[in-house]
Amino acid sequence: MLMSDAITSQSAPIETARTSVIVIVALLYLAALVGISIWASRRTRTAEDFFVAGKGIGLFALTVASVSTTVSGFAFIGGPGLFYSVGLGALYIVLSASVTNVMGAWVLAKRMRLLGEVRPMLTVPDAIGARYDSRAAQGLSAIAILVGVIGYMATNALAMGVVLQAIFGVQLTHGVWIGMGITIAYSMAGGILAGIYNDVLQGALMAVASILVFVVVLQLGHGIGGHSRAILAVDPAFLSPFGKMTPLAALSLFFVFTIGSLGQPAQLHKYYMLRDPRQLRWYPLLKTVGLIVVLLLYFGVGLSVKALVSGGQLAPLAKPDDATPAFLLHFTPTLLAALVFSGVAAATMSITNSFMNIGAAAITHDLPLALGITVRNKLLVGRIATLVISLLAIALASLSRTTIAFLAIFGYGLFASTLVPSLAIGLNWRGATRAGAIASICTGLSVTLVCETLVFFKLLTMPVGVSIAGLSLLASLLIFFVTSWVTRHSAAATLADDIRVVMDV
Amino acid sequence: MVAHHNPPVQFWWRERQRAEPVTGRVVVSIPQQSRALPVIVCSALGNLVAYVSAFRGSAAPTWAPFVFAISTVAMLTAIIVLGAHRRDRKLGLLAIPIALVAVILLGGFLAALQVAPPSAGSRLFAGLPLGAAIVVYGIGLLPLVILPVAYALTFANMTLSDADIQRVRDAKRAPRAGE
Repeated sequence: MLMSDAITSQSAPIETARTSVIVIVALLYLAALVGISIWASRRTRTAEDFFVAGKGIGLFALTVASVSTTVSGFAFIGGPGLFYSVGLGALYIVLSASVTNVMGAWVLAKRMRLLGEVRPMLTVPDAIGARYDSRAAQGLSAIAILVGVIGYMATNALAMGVVLQAIFGVQLTHGVWIGMGITIAYSMAGGILAGIYNDVLQGALMAVASILVFVVVLQLGHGIGGHSRAILAVDPAFLSPFGKMTPLAALSLFFVFTIGSLGQPAQLHKYYMLRDPRQLRWYPLLKTVGLIVVLLLYFGVGLSVKALVSGGQLAPLAKPDDATPAFLLHFTPTLLAALVFSGVAAATMSITNSFMNIGAAAITHDLPLALGITVRNKLLVGRIATLVISLLAIALASLSRTTIAFLAIFGYGLFASTLVPSLAIGLNWRGATRAGAIASICTGLSVTLVCETLVFFKLLTMPVGVSIAGLSLLASLLIFFVTSWVTRHSAAATLADDIRVVMDV
Repeated sequence: MVAHHNPPVQFWWRERQRAEPVTGRVVVSIPQQSRALPVIVCSALGNLVAYVSAFRGSAAPTWAPFVFAISTVAMLTAIIVLGAHRRDRKLGLLAIPIALVAVILLGGFLAALQVAPPSAGSRLFAGLPLGAAIVVYGIGLLPLVILPVAYALTFANMTLSDADIQRVRDAKRAPRAGE
């Protein structure tokens, strides 16, 4: 036994006083979010305010908000759950965090921020439309984003449900509705400005909470080594380099989450908001450090819960997604548990808010532009669109039979396969063509949806180690290059002079 | 540098090559950016081959993860080069941290694929068995002190200067075709 009896005794049923403290802190936290949203709604007057925060966000706010939206419910609930079930292989999702931010800064951040200098940019499909001078490419990327947004929002709605279920003891479905209801309210009121400043509060809170939780993890195991010894005694494969996954499956996660990071609209969209492009200098370093601090919870809780179960201090979990709630409720001080629960709920709301905003922009801005329709009151239509896509996400979260982690991989993979070739490669390669972009977006969308549907209805079984997201990303990349090569004569014609300058610097 | 008396063969990934008249000859330099593109294509094909091999038989062959690891690191490195490289200058010293990170990632993956699985009595390195330590500290954390720092230190010279921003703002003022 590695843990003391005193710590083991905390595994007893949670007392009412402890639950009350958690509920009070959660309510205070939600009140703070409402306050920020009311303040933001008074500063939101135009569509540019609603969608890109009037391009007035500073480096610190952008960095913390970006960390907050990157981690989401997936990293706090789904990630530790996946770690608990498959071991070290689950880390391959976040393993490239120290590389992806700087890669994104070189490949996309500068160019997208500079696009905002030469053209009025509100959305990620705006950049694709401008790059290829194509409404079709813009409209198709908006459709792909909309599908991915609903999938990703469902992930976070489910994570919110798990957290609220643990805090308030409500049913999972009720937790999903409560969490989404609060997020809808502040998103519809203040748009992205409310989201950004709520993200700042949430990101800062999560960084502090992650460090404190990691300290608890270290205390429980007398260092990481104590947890490792407890796990190795029972289940050594858990700590092998690829955990219980096959090497190909773990590497496949690394591939999708590394290259796919260049196609995540919640991150890309934020580049437009930076006040001064020169502030990008310190952005990758600050964001990477922030991200690694916050991911201590992912690693620490996943490792610790497995060790606690291996050592007999915690009963085996009914489902992997219970890992974080079980750890917080049984092994952390009350106030810290309350802080993390609030922060986790807030982080899921934060990313959901970002996606509500992106989805609303696709409906009110990109699709009408592609179809040649004029939307008169974008602000009002944006708020209605937010409500509609939220309801669709709630429906998907309620009907889904999969775990948070796998639902998130679907959303992440869809964004990756539809946006990485056309945007990340296209903004750095003059030889990319409009036909190549359209073909790659269609390929990413169709391969992902067809394969996921066939697998869902058990009409197709993917071999161990092959991910649909990875396959789809490879297919869209290759189609992009082949089609651009076939239509290479048209490459120069679709490149406007101002876009050419943005691509040259 | 390759010297030609006639216009060079136009490989599709090279786009428009820069041609400078030097003592009556046309000297063509292939931008590093363009060299990144065939690497991306080849590494995508490498990953696809590894995936396709898994469809044959009950499990992927032992070589498949090696091919996948090499191809993924190659693609990641090529995409970084594609983004970091500018048309008007070479990568210069920036090539060193990029290459270093590529070596760390590739070495880490190959070591993780070769290392013996841990057991109850395995020696721990910073709290983790050897293979896990390579993955977490080597692949996961080591690049943090290299690439983001290199990016920040070379930002004004290699990524974005005041002159670049002015050039872009000037481009905004220039009328576009059809206006």
